Amino acid sequence: MKPDQGMSLIVKTVTCWINSFIFLFGIYVMLFGHITPGGGFPGGVIIACSFILITLAAGKEFALKLFSLDDASVVDSFSIFLFLFIGFLGLILGNYFLQNFMAAGEPFRLPSAGTIVLNNVAIGLKVGAAIFAMFMYLSLFRLDEGEETE
Amino acid sequence: MIYGLCLILFLVGFYGIVVKRNLIKIIMGLIIMEYAVHLFIVLVSYQRGGIVPILQEGQSISEFVQLAVDPLPQVLVLTAIIINFGITALVVAIAIRLYEKYGTFDINEIRRLRG
Repeated sequence: MKPDQGMSLIVKTVTCWINSFIFLFGIYVMLFGHITPGGGFPGGVIIACSFILITLAAGKEFALKLFSLDDASVVDSFSIFLFLFIGFLGLILGNYFLQNFMAAGEPFRLPSAGTIVLNNVAIGLKVGAAIFAMFMYLSLFRLDEGEETE
Repeated sequence: MIYGLCLILFLVGFYGIVVKRNLIKIIMGLIIMEYAVHLFIVLVSYQRGGIVPILQEGQSISEFVQLAVDPLPQVLVLTAIIINFGITALVVAIAIRLYEKYGTFDINEIRRLRG
């Protein structure tokens, strides 16, 4: 974290303390979406918000060194294929698309919903990478002298 | 009566779209209108003393049909929130492009259409 980029020292220090907890809370919301309020989409949004907080506090170079736009594109495309793969696995091992082929487990525990947890993780990765990429695309690219830079 | 509050919120967003000249304020009016519609659709499915729409064991069908909350409007709103998020991102991107081209957010000054 270079001192001349981003916001002031207070903001950077508080971001260092808080950001890992925000990330952990996003993972919690994503994993426990089937027994508590939450799910893949809110968890992905919270994870993307932790990266956006890094971008706002430490500058876009530092954030892009952590998680570049190519990485975001790869995760974005890969996770929807993960979702499709889980769906077709239900078709192969069971009878229909997205069928639950794992054990049901006991209620109110983490492995209590079969493949819903895996689908939530796939959706959360997709949404987090997509929202981070959307934020970076909105803030990064500029028109210089009438020529598009994308 | 409580649906009237949704109408008032909708009219607040409509006022923002019609009267304001700043593009950012117009986008905020659009978002307020969207959320008024979401609130209305969720309130339609509200039921006092309603239960989760999952059929438990030892529960009669008629009692279940009377008490259970209709899950369809909630799922519809969940989808609509995501679609409105995409719409908002698109509108913000267009506003950023307009600002780069014309150097202003005032829609009275963005008159000339050039390629």
